[in-house]
Amino acid sequence: MKVHLYERIWMIAAAAVIAIFLGTIAVGTLAQGSQPPSHVETIDPKAVWTDPRFANRGVEELPDGAVRVTGIAMMFAFQPGEIRVPAGKKVTFRLTSADVVHGFQIVGTNANAMVVPGYVTQFSTVFDRPGEYLIVCNEYCGLGHHMMMGRLVVEAGQ
Amino acid sequence: MATAVAEVKAEKASLGSTLWSWLTTTDHKRIGILYGVTAFVFFLIGGLEALIIRAQLAHSGNDLVSAETFNQLFTMHGTTMIFLAVMPLSAAFFNYIVPLQIGARDVAFPRLNAFSYWVFLFGGLLLNASFLFGAAPDGGWFGYPNLTSKQYSPGLNIDFWVIGLQVLGIASLAAGFNFVVTIINLRAPGMRMMRLPVFTWMTLVTQFLVITAFPVITVALVFLMFDRFFGTTFYSTAAGGDLLLWQHLFWLFGHPEVYILILPAMGIVSEVLPTFSRKPLFGYAVVVYSGLLIGVMGWGVWAHHMFAVGMGPIADSVFSATTMLIAIPTGVKIFNWLATMWGGQVQFRTPMLFALGFIAMFIIGGLSGVMHSSAAADLQQTDTYFVVAHIHYVLFGGAIQGIFAGIYYWWPKITGRLMNEKLGKWHFWLSFIGMNLAFFPMHFIGLLGMPRRIYTYSPELGLDTLNLVSTVGAFLIGISVLIFIYNVWWTRRHGEVAGNDPWRAATLEWTIPSPPPPYNFSVIPEVVSRLPRWSVTQMKAIPEVPPEPIHLPGGSYWPVVTAFGILVMAAGALLHSLWVVLLGGAVLVVGIYAWAFEPFEV
Repeated sequence: MKVHLYERIWMIAAAAVIAIFLGTIAVGTLAQGSQPPSHVETIDPKAVWTDPRFANRGVEELPDGAVRVTGIAMMFAFQPGEIRVPAGKKVTFRLTSADVVHGFQIVGTNANAMVVPGYVTQFSTVFDRPGEYLIVCNEYCGLGHHMMMGRLVVEAGQ
Repeated sequence: MATAVAEVKAEKASLGSTLWSWLTTTDHKRIGILYGVTAFVFFLIGGLEALIIRAQLAHSGNDLVSAETFNQLFTMHGTTMIFLAVMPLSAAFFNYIVPLQIGARDVAFPRLNAFSYWVFLFGGLLLNASFLFGAAPDGGWFGYPNLTSKQYSPGLNIDFWVIGLQVLGIASLAAGFNFVVTIINLRAPGMRMMRLPVFTWMTLVTQFLVITAFPVITVALVFLMFDRFFGTTFYSTAAGGDLLLWQHLFWLFGHPEVYILILPAMGIVSEVLPTFSRKPLFGYAVVVYSGLLIGVMGWGVWAHHMFAVGMGPIADSVFSATTMLIAIPTGVKIFNWLATMWGGQVQFRTPMLFALGFIAMFIIGGLSGVMHSSAAADLQQTDTYFVVAHIHYVLFGGAIQGIFAGIYYWWPKITGRLMNEKLGKWHFWLSFIGMNLAFFPMHFIGLLGMPRRIYTYSPELGLDTLNLVSTVGAFLIGISVLIFIYNVWWTRRHGEVAGNDPWRAATLEWTIPSPPPPYNFSVIPEVVSRLPRWSVTQMKAIPEVPPEPIHLPGGSYWPVVTAFGILVMAAGALLHSLWVVLLGGAVLVVGIYAWAFEPFEV
């Protein structure tokens, strides 16, 4: 079969590009064991209720005065449903999902994170204004998505 | 002359032979019309879905439709508008206009072109057939697993979506290759790359995006299909897969897709503005280069859809920066359009109004887009109605208004009659007011805390009034579209006869009769400048009657047969029946074989 020179060059170039791509991926995953950076902290999504990191759901005061909130998002509620934190202190949220991808948005603030099953979502923020805030799931999660809400109460410090 | 002959023929032909001629057509102009009509019907279906959604959200606690139906409606609204309305409406112009603008008699692969159309039609019908089974897709147009995995969506709904989109991808890819080859190889003598009309240029960029972006979504969909059908674990975190792989693949496709939707509209506007300003486009080369740059940079911004995932400060900053950068070539284009009008004799005909509406609305949509590029600001907006406002300013205010500018602009070329100006202006102003009423309040609705894709909301949010305004706006858009349909009906009989060039425009398509004869150009033109009809060096006139016989390729039914094979395969996959898939595969192979060996001269 006669193949035109240009066609042959294109075929060889395309094959070489594919080989280089596959080779890079193979070396990266097999030899160097590289993982996407989002694999920061993982969790077995089937065992979130028994995992010791999520055994104490709710608000904890840490020795350094900061506050840690541990919670689980599930179809179609947040656990715990109401969170009380002090104003003006650093609050660290640690969240995970028991089923599908959820969102955790505190309306009126820029606290907003996607809660992905298999991962621990962690972020810190400070609430300056005391009051009641609505927590909504903003990542479409099925039939009851519109009912998935929680409440955050920021209490004025003593 | 040619028009008269065609009309006589149409009267004589029986219904059966007319249908057969459309079914087997390989004429790019007829395929363009098929694309346009089909896509417009899907646009109406998608619009109807939007109206039901808005009616449901008109006030808090409403239960006009069930939550299940609502989820299907917003999923199908997004999927329909993107894949079945805006993309194929642009494709209608690629088909009809591009060969005329480059001085060609057809596209490079006429039968492949017919195949693209039939696959698109079958894919669209398949997706919408899901309604008949009460199993319309309900996973959102973005279909995030693991909600769309078998465990959480066991029904046929997501199967329809996964299979339907793969079928549509085949259509887009085939058309993509076809137009790249057409634009590069079939240009008339003298039509250098830097003499191409901007619409053709933007088509070329769009097609490169299509042939590079659609494989990405195909891979993502194949993974999801394997997860659902064969129990693989690509997206199962529990089994060592990665859920976020979908989000990366989807947006790696999804963001170039945004430019696939908007670049053709930018091309149309770049044709309309010079014509109605009586001035050449300001900075042609810069407009072309910034279009190319948008195409390239569109690949480097996908993760701004994912700031809320928590990718870490480095990834967040990189994608913030690239997203801000892509606003530069876009801004350059806007300034070029404004400078085109500056000092021109601006004529406010309907196509011009839509083009101006495009610029104004696209600026608003573009600005809210730049707001998203800051990760910190984005976190207040992600997945709220603010983003819904943004995409509708870009895709309705931008893409759809651009497409309507194109429809009014090229309608006389395609049908030989000018559309009614008065009705056209009513259409424009109603849809312009309607869209601002519908989409502007959504910015506030979003910032006040209403998430996207919620079936209903509580009265305590205090969003009833804003939502009602938005609903009223949506229905105004609906009325404006009805006026457009009436205009089409009216124009059929009473529209002013256009002649070759009703707008005194500059590009090649206006040198030939309207509608163009089947062979387009009686002799292939020799292009001497970028604006052949406006330049001082006049090109040779194109004779009205071909001086010598022109060979035109006949029709072929193999493209329909081959496309049908794909439909059967898709149906077989939905039924989980290997035999039906194999049957469809057999039809496909026979179709391709017969197609390849069919005597068919271009």
